[in-house]
Amino acid sequence: MNHTELLFQCLSIASTAALCGFVLIRRTHKILPYFSSYAVVLLLSGIATGYVYCHFGFRSTTSYDVYWTSSLLNVIVRSFAIAELCRYGLSAYRGIWALICGILTFLALVFLAHAAWDAWGQPNRLAIYGLTLQRDLDLASVTILAVLLLLRRYYGIELDSLQRAIAVGIFFFCTVDLVNNSILRNLYAGYLFFWFSTSYKSFWPALRPQIDSLNDVYGMISIFSSMIAIGIWCFALRKPLPEPSKAPVLLPVEVYQELSPMVNLRLRAFNDRLVEMLRP
Amino acid sequence: MTEVTAYILVAVGFSVVLLWLMRPRHNPPERERLPLDQSFENFIPRHYRFFPQVRQALSAGDHEYLCESAPPHVVKRVMRERREVARRYLAGLREDFSKLERLGRVVAALSPVISREQETERLLLSLKFRVLYSLVFLRISAGPVPIDQIDLLTGLVGRLAVRMEQAIAQINALSEQRLPTGLNA
Repeated sequence: MNHTELLFQCLSIASTAALCGFVLIRRTHKILPYFSSYAVVLLLSGIATGYVYCHFGFRSTTSYDVYWTSSLLNVIVRSFAIAELCRYGLSAYRGIWALICGILTFLALVFLAHAAWDAWGQPNRLAIYGLTLQRDLDLASVTILAVLLLLRRYYGIELDSLQRAIAVGIFFFCTVDLVNNSILRNLYAGYLFFWFSTSYKSFWPALRPQIDSLNDVYGMISIFSSMIAIGIWCFALRKPLPEPSKAPVLLPVEVYQELSPMVNLRLRAFNDRLVEMLRP
Repeated sequence: MTEVTAYILVAVGFSVVLLWLMRPRHNPPERERLPLDQSFENFIPRHYRFFPQVRQALSAGDHEYLCESAPPHVVKRVMRERREVARRYLAGLREDFSKLERLGRVVAALSPVISREQETERLLLSLKFRVLYSLVFLRISAGPVPIDQIDLLTGLVGRLAVRMEQAIAQINALSEQRLPTGLNA
């Protein structure tokens, strides 16, 4: 990290502080406690990282450890915020919620297992391990959000505007992060691997400029994408929160048991007719 | 770089999905409402009721009479117009069917217990329907109008509509008994 990047880090902290202010003013913690916690964790980790950079220098081991630890902490809290978005407003629709919850839990478990498997095979270096884990969790977040939005649209239960803006912000940040992490991880685990092996210590001075410029670009992209996501959230929070949607009154179970097989039967018959029309 | 390229493609693909999901809808005021607020009467098919008029317009007798008595360019123009009528009617039937399929989803959303098998089957059948419909539409655009088969399709939608009207009446009756506020708006 260089001084320009530190300046942007300060801007990022300021925008996160503004987000926390909005969260507090709009009392978002009452309806979205995990997202509110995510905003606070983002602020605290930004301040902690900035403080460590100033006191221990950009290239110190402490800075390195604090950066990667705070990144992983952010990813974990963000996962809770995504889980909260999944549950928001859907739990009242008990039947659909059971179905969607099953699908999303399955997806989450598959991606978590994939992330653990992928990260397990990496060399014992925090950066490569962290990048692999972050990349896979970004992929998991993006997939789960896309599936959630698709299923919600399919059943006609749209997210409220604030929750949608939060989903879009997380989606944008995770998508950029996914590409950013993939490229950096590939370079670290590829031809820059000498940097992590003490056997090639003699190459380190020659590699230093490349590593620094690579980290700078990575850091800048990360900071910019997080600032854009925070901007989206702040924009959504500029107005007072709308009244929460009324809880739905559910139909008797017999209605579904009678109607659903009938609709499916007719759909099948309709498709059969269309197939007949296509025969020569 | 293959792995990185794959991740970039995945990211771009998901971004396209998100943009598609965020696109404005054709009739937002009705569709943005929760299923609870939608009137079930909106799901009743309407287009299939116009089939007698369509059948008359597309009758084989008219076609034979035209071929015998009208000049070729007039026959050609009439054929083109008949195909257009058939295409529009078929589009109307699709709309009718979509309404019924949507009713299935709304009932599922409002049900406390649903079947995973039923939901998966309906999703797959809807996807198959869309593909088949496109193929039939193309075929009608290119060749003769299969009026008898359209008649059969109309019969299917019509019977389903009648059954749906009965089911909706039952739902409304149940709503009045068990629910304090209006599902039967």
